[in-house]
Amino acid sequence: MASVSVHQFAPCITCHAWSPDQSMIAFCPNNNEVHIYKMLEGKWEKIHVLHKHDQIVSGIDWSRRTDQIVTVSHDRNSYVWSQEASEWVPTLVILRLNRAALCVQWSPKENKFAVGSGAKTVCVCYYEQENNWWVSKIIRKRHDSSVTSIAWHPNNILLATTSTDGKCRVFSTFIKGVDTKHTSSGSDSKFGEQIMQLDLSHSWTFGIRWSPSGNTLAYAGHDSMIYFVEEIGPSPSAQSVAFRDLPLRDVLFLSERMVIGVGYDCNPMVFTADERGLWSFLRFLDERKQTSNAKYDSQLSGTFGKLYGQSKSGSNESNESSRIRAHDNCITSVVPLKKTRDATVTTFTTAGLDGKVVTWDLQKQQDLMEYLQG
Amino acid sequence: MANSLRLYLTCIRNTLDAALCLQNFPCQEVERHNKPEVELKTSPELLLNPVVYGPLVLICRNEAEKCLIETSINSLCISLKVKQSDELENILTKKFLRFLSMRAEAFQVLRRKPVQSFHTFLMVVGYSTVYYTQGYDISFLITNYHCEDMQKQKLIEFIVQFMEDIDKEISELKLSVNTRGRLVATEFLKQFI
Repeated sequence: MASVSVHQFAPCITCHAWSPDQSMIAFCPNNNEVHIYKMLEGKWEKIHVLHKHDQIVSGIDWSRRTDQIVTVSHDRNSYVWSQEASEWVPTLVILRLNRAALCVQWSPKENKFAVGSGAKTVCVCYYEQENNWWVSKIIRKRHDSSVTSIAWHPNNILLATTSTDGKCRVFSTFIKGVDTKHTSSGSDSKFGEQIMQLDLSHSWTFGIRWSPSGNTLAYAGHDSMIYFVEEIGPSPSAQSVAFRDLPLRDVLFLSERMVIGVGYDCNPMVFTADERGLWSFLRFLDERKQTSNAKYDSQLSGTFGKLYGQSKSGSNESNESSRIRAHDNCITSVVPLKKTRDATVTTFTTAGLDGKVVTWDLQKQQDLMEYLQG
Repeated sequence: MANSLRLYLTCIRNTLDAALCLQNFPCQEVERHNKPEVELKTSPELLLNPVVYGPLVLICRNEAEKCLIETSINSLCISLKVKQSDELENILTKKFLRFLSMRAEAFQVLRRKPVQSFHTFLMVVGYSTVYYTQGYDISFLITNYHCEDMQKQKLIEFIVQFMEDIDKEISELKLSVNTRGRLVATEFLKQFI
């Protein structure tokens, strides 16, 4: 079994993030709080509750080096929390948003973070030492609809976004005074400059990520497709992989050649690239029993003979019960847990609407190990 | 007969399986609000934003029975038109479904008013004109919050079960009305023997 541990933290989890030493987990239990749990003596204990937002917290990220947590919420606010003594102290970030914030991520150097919002804008925030607060610069007028997901390139300058208008865009977020000028990135060093726009999907797009080297981009479309883009620039080359199952919500690069997609199937999907660089769907990560594939026919005949006055929230599923999956409901986020020296991820966690956080370890999966080396 | 019902329900079940992929989505038009986007579309004064809406799917079993499924990013609306073969069934269906819709809070996923189709046409009756709106008999509104609280498979099961039960219910009601009518008439006319 690829899943190492399953733990039910809350009825429903919106988003989650791990501390730098992987001992603590911060997540939002589908309300306006952030709960931080720590593993003490083999049991998860709630050690902190961060209570500052008015509406549901839609994004959490925990920085590795500076040990700060950034949270964004549907109430248009964002806070950066730092640990002082044993308390978490919030610092308000002036985002200047007039709609909900949907996603957040620290940049690789952790001197900036980006926020995607329902105001069709992306805010890039940096710390101003003189005034002792976080200031944001906004990328406006580029998106036609809500920005659902963002991802930083390893060079700390390029930012990729996905939106409900179906397009994927890459911007430069060079800020004078914060970023050092890179000769390799060329002359596109203006803040908010759009490097690339891709219109591959007919439906909403979510879950964008860069590969560890920054050469490949992957994102998921709601039309049950996953897109892989290479050669980011004026003429990118893209591959679209369609799959039979329900759409994905989030993706994660485990190595240059392996991607995990999670979504409405409640089961992580493994996509791999062969030697020629062609991506395809390999398999589901969670083993499934064969009997559950006998789907709808047996279900229908079973329920025909069933009771007439069924309870409102649904009938028994006793003839569909052979479904041993870690998650019961849609998986909303996937976060890496352990990285090897060459940035390959071997352990990661998924959290979903069922409130469970499942840890997956790929050390024992023989058929996947060859893709992890690549 | 039973065969076409089975196919109809399987089709609806498969469509719902694909369409019930909902997520929490804050309103783009109004700050700090979270509305079912499928409802927003039917409100004429708000700007229609084609981006967040999904296609409409109409599944017809025959001319009299159909099912409309409207999707959006955070909500789903399923409207049903139940078979009504004669006037009595018409009245019974209307009364029964109205009874259910009025108690929509207990059902959680029910909508208080069935969705009216966009096709309205004029009928000139005597010296007055009447607007005749083709509508559906009952509508379900499922939002992402329902998907978070309840399991998707169970929700689909409930809807499909409901559709099967409706036909049975209506025919049972019709039968009991006829039986009762016969009994009452017999009793009443006995006095004239």
